[in-house]
Amino acid sequence: MKKINIFLTAATVIVAIITMAFSPSPKITVKGSDTMVILAQKWAEVYMKKNPNVTIQVTGGGSGVGLSALINGSTDIANASRPIKQSEMEKLKARYNTLGVEIACAKDGVTIFLNNSNPVKELSIKQLSGIYSGKIKNWKEVGGPDASIILYGRENSSGTYVYFKDNVVKADYAPNCQTLPGTAAIVNAVKKDKFGIGYGGAAYAEGVKQCPVKKDDKSTAYLPTKENIASNTYPITRYLYMYLGTKPKGVIKEYIDWILSDEGQKVAVEVGFFPVK
Amino acid sequence: MKKLLLLLSLILSLKGFSQVSIDSLKEAIDDHKMKISAFDERLSTDESDLQKLTKIKFSGYVQAQYDYYDFSPKPTPSNTFYIRRARLKATYEAIDGVKFVLQPDYATNNLSLKDAYVVLNDRWTKTFSIWAGQFNRPDYEVEYSSSQREVLERSRMIRTLYPGEREIGVKLEANPQNIPFKFQLAALNGNFTGNSAKDGKDAKDIDNGKDLMARAVYSFKFPKCGLGVDFGLNGYYGSVQTKDSKYVLNSENKLDSATTGSYLPKKWAGAEMQFYWDFLGGMALKGEYIMGQISTIGTSTTTVTQIGGTNSTTSSGGTTTTTRTDSSSTTKTVITPNKTRNFSGYYVYFIKNIGLKNQLVVKYDNYDPNASLSGDKAKSEIYYNTLTLAWQYYFDENLRITASYEIPMNEKNATTPKEILDNTFSVRIQAKF
Repeated sequence: MKKINIFLTAATVIVAIITMAFSPSPKITVKGSDTMVILAQKWAEVYMKKNPNVTIQVTGGGSGVGLSALINGSTDIANASRPIKQSEMEKLKARYNTLGVEIACAKDGVTIFLNNSNPVKELSIKQLSGIYSGKIKNWKEVGGPDASIILYGRENSSGTYVYFKDNVVKADYAPNCQTLPGTAAIVNAVKKDKFGIGYGGAAYAEGVKQCPVKKDDKSTAYLPTKENIASNTYPITRYLYMYLGTKPKGVIKEYIDWILSDEGQKVAVEVGFFPVK
Repeated sequence: MKKLLLLLSLILSLKGFSQVSIDSLKEAIDDHKMKISAFDERLSTDESDLQKLTKIKFSGYVQAQYDYYDFSPKPTPSNTFYIRRARLKATYEAIDGVKFVLQPDYATNNLSLKDAYVVLNDRWTKTFSIWAGQFNRPDYEVEYSSSQREVLERSRMIRTLYPGEREIGVKLEANPQNIPFKFQLAALNGNFTGNSAKDGKDAKDIDNGKDLMARAVYSFKFPKCGLGVDFGLNGYYGSVQTKDSKYVLNSENKLDSATTGSYLPKKWAGAEMQFYWDFLGGMALKGEYIMGQISTIGTSTTTVTQIGGTNSTTSSGGTTTTTRTDSSSTTKTVITPNKTRNFSGYYVYFIKNIGLKNQLVVKYDNYDPNASLSGDKAKSEIYYNTLTLAWQYYFDENLRITASYEIPMNEKNATTPKEILDNTFSVRIQAKF
């Protein structure tokens, strides 16, 4: 009798483990990158039209916010415009005992926005680093007019902020860099400020000049076009990611498979990003 | 003519009126400009103050616990509520690359300092950092925060080797950005007992020797399989200074002599591994094995016994005084020998995530305080195996509840012929912010 009880208890636990692991979720929550929010919303909109039984909720807040939400279990998918940090992965390991799942879902060129009246023709990575770290303070130092450079940037929960800092600035941002909540806000500010400079996803560049960027003084400067991003010749090309706590299953897997399909990638191009392959 | 004059005067008065309006408008604009400049100035001061405040971060957790002691004989009390830990951690990032951390522990009747250290981060390669102060010793289970750990307490071996978890010293850490490798090297006082709240002796070192600890961990990732493996090695090299006794009992309980004030070894090496596998919602297998030599210093206790004599008692104003005359006393001082011991121990955790909110944990740990002797020869230095079963439920990011049953199993010999019943059932609620 005691053996039967032990067997029944063990069997119940095993069934519970398997059942809970495979329980489908009718609602998908997506949080994170503000760069990706218009893309994520478009994906959700198109997918829900084709699959009316699925509800997809998309919010922004920044890559850091999305990854925190993934760690605390309040989102199914975290969108990020930068790779996950080691410290975030350690928290995922501690909480869920997994490394997390990283899925590159689109490509993007971090675009340098200048006011339409700004005569600067191109900038190198070194010049951009100097500008955003505060070492270069005047446009005349980079071939522009004699005027102070007004810096616009993102808040530190933004993946674009982190990506730009790690790959371009490679130092602390200048203290006078104004923090704005989202790429749209940066574009808006640069549009109104003839001495302003900003950075953000290529999809947001409307009403401002996209500045060609070169790797170094001897290289050719490139614009963030589809061809230059696909071939990685544009120097600030990056992947956009979706992160999950565990391997996707059920409805979430179907949604992600659709995003990576030709149809989903076509939506990315329509929004202004670039296909992952 | 009259009409012309009227028209002219109207035009002149309008002009005058408009001039007055323009002037008053200009005045109003200037007035507002000044107010806006004043607000700007105040805001920039407030902004600067706010920026300083955002550099201070507070975090902490409270663990309220209920224990039921399944002991034989039945203890009094057999069960209790208590606060296991109540921590408040303040972190201040003075400038980029410099961080101060202060963390006291506010458990009932036991206020103690846990962490107090400064970290200097290398801003050029972003690889190295130097820690100075009181911090966790570099060991996996020690550094794994009590607020995150899946079982209620660390293994017996770790609690014995690293009492209080913390130590005072300096540490160099290397965490290269693009390589999944971590290296730690620490120079420590080596005599931390974790009892500083009671006797304050941990505040400074008690001998001239300093101990060294080193740990290196490499992480392998196999994303296609959903598998991650962290593999590490660690070592401790230190000593403890003899004080009162000139005798040393070695691991075989044979007596050697030593000069009072000489140093006895504390040295061990260990290997650790953590597997993470994304299987049916995530699971982990973690373990560590350590073996080596540990030493303890002998103690000296003095007792004074009075013999004979006569008591006389006087009373005045409510105060009674008793005087003993013609008595003699015996003073007895007992000095125990210093000891060196070969020891070994290990722990293994199995953790299974069930859905997003539940976790099943099974832990097995072993500690043999004298690996050179077993059976009757080990006497009271018996080994312990401890099995811990636990279930956790996460309400959300900040609140979780754990139910745990700990079953220590002891080695049996002539000194301890039976299994000691000392199991503990616990329920803990942890609130974290």
